[in-house]
Amino acid sequence: MNNKVIMWSVLFLILLGLYIMGEGMIFIEGARVKFAAILIVSITIYYYIDRARSGEEIYLRTIPGLKALEEAVGRATEMGKSVLFVPGISDLDQVETITGLNILGHVAEHTAKYEASLNVPVSKSIVMEAGRDICREAYLKAGRPDLYSDDMVHYLTDDQFAYAAGVNGIMIREKPAACFYLGKFYAESLILAETGNSIGAIQIAGTGSMAQIPFFVTACDYTLIGEEFFTASAYLSKKPELLGSIKGQDIVKLLVMATMVLTVVLNGLFQAGWISFDILSYL
Amino acid sequence: MLLKRQIPLMIVIGVGLLTLFGNFINNEAIRGFVDNDATQWFDIIASFAIFLGALNMLKLQLIKIIKKQKNWQYSILAVAGFAFAIFAGFFYRGANFITISGVQEGKIAIVSEIIAEEVDDTNPYDIETKIMSSQDEYEIDKLFMTEGNAKLFMKKLTPHAEGVSLKAKPWGAHVQTKGSLFYWMFINMITPLSATMFALLAFFVASASYRAFRIRNFEATLLLVAGIILMLGRVPIGNLIPWWAVSIMIMFGIGAIAAPFIKERTILLGIVGGGIFIFIVSGTLMGWNQTPPALLSIPIIQDWIFAFPAMAGSRALMIGIALGIVATSFRIIIGLDKSVLGG
Repeated sequence: MNNKVIMWSVLFLILLGLYIMGEGMIFIEGARVKFAAILIVSITIYYYIDRARSGEEIYLRTIPGLKALEEAVGRATEMGKSVLFVPGISDLDQVETITGLNILGHVAEHTAKYEASLNVPVSKSIVMEAGRDICREAYLKAGRPDLYSDDMVHYLTDDQFAYAAGVNGIMIREKPAACFYLGKFYAESLILAETGNSIGAIQIAGTGSMAQIPFFVTACDYTLIGEEFFTASAYLSKKPELLGSIKGQDIVKLLVMATMVLTVVLNGLFQAGWISFDILSYL
Repeated sequence: MLLKRQIPLMIVIGVGLLTLFGNFINNEAIRGFVDNDATQWFDIIASFAIFLGALNMLKLQLIKIIKKQKNWQYSILAVAGFAFAIFAGFFYRGANFITISGVQEGKIAIVSEIIAEEVDDTNPYDIETKIMSSQDEYEIDKLFMTEGNAKLFMKKLTPHAEGVSLKAKPWGAHVQTKGSLFYWMFINMITPLSATMFALLAFFVASASYRAFRIRNFEATLLLVAGIILMLGRVPIGNLIPWWAVSIMIMFGIGAIAAPFIKERTILLGIVGGGIFIFIVSGTLMGWNQTPPALLSIPIIQDWIFAFPAMAGSRALMIGIALGIVATSFRIIIGLDKSVLGG
């Protein structure tokens, strides 16, 4: 067995042992499984990050929605129209918003490269500030800081439907050729996506909001479904350590699947009275 | 660089780890920070940050008006709306109310009638009882938007009571008090406009569904069939559809799903027609007219679709999303993903 695997396994056992010994005094009781799960997830992801750093090649399947980002910006440039980026209506305390802003950096790099105009209406002030920083950095990276303006990331309103109305107004008046909806969305998702569809824009969406995914699938050209959306920054940056974390995430998924199957089998055996060990009392 | 990158990164890592492991540490102070303080800090920062957003919005709209950029007329409306909201929130309170005290003996009934007429109460005796039982002063159950209106009403009461005074709800509380200008604006302008936007969803759902169902492939057909069953199963008419009609629908559904794979139309017609015939004949012979099987009930099929295939699919997605969130959070906490600090 690989030395690193042994080292991480020992570390896991030590930490879990420490937790069990300190239960009730330093650590709270009844959260042993949760703690172990966090350790397993963290160690697995970190292990694969480490492997990627040491030069292991990580394969990532093609994600059409992310591949189409540059194509969409290119299309907008050819048509002489703007690119609209909507980072959702949540604040920076949501991982979806952070992921959306990560992708904004890549979109901004392309708009800088192609000299296309970028419009980012936001609904939260903190997101506006973070978005500006990210866009400024992207334009600098693309070697076109002269094209950057603070006003390309602008605030509309905090109110959900007022924001939807504002973005719809921008779409109808400016008719952007490419619309990106990447962030956390609620009921406004379909209003935005259908309006974008009606103006003939190429649309790419991605969200972690379960209920909104079907709407985006129906109305947009490309949709980053669930975890695809969260892999975007790794996929686009191609940084080995980020790619390693994606592989780690997939391994964790495999472990989750194995745990689910094992739980079903053990619970079935317990229900049938063949074993006395009740797995559900542990979880 | 230190102030812009390293220090923020250290704060992210420190707070991230503390929040994560704070859930497991048996210490009230840490748990209090994780459960309450950290989120309150965020709320406070976000509240201050709203000024940045509001000023940015105002700046852009004013520039648009001054430079008479395209569609500048809409900006006038935006600036006017902004100014009106500020005025209603900070400068004009409204929410005036009147209190009376020392109502002359024998005039309580008259005062009660005047008040009942003003507050549209059909029973002045209730008001009379309340005035009599009030220890110090009685607060009339009506809020006036303007002081002028309140004073007009006060004039009617002054001859009958010793103390008639005009008061107003405190600043801050007025935004949620009926009778304030801000509340009026919220109820009469913001709520209907939001409802209008929300109502648009109905039309967008219809157009999106039409587009989704129109695509001629296997998945779209499956979606169409499931969609029709769900729609019928959720309305009362779904319960009234007889077993033979459901059998026909099922056979049509099977036919629609099989259509892309069977090129010969006559064979497809034979399968669908034969299936319907077999279903109806065997059902009639088995006495389904009296006791139809649960499987041929639209609401039950709808429940099954919702509870099993749809639930399984959504849970698979949910697990993927949760793992994605965990991995992203982990990358941020260990300082690997620094993009949130500006690329």
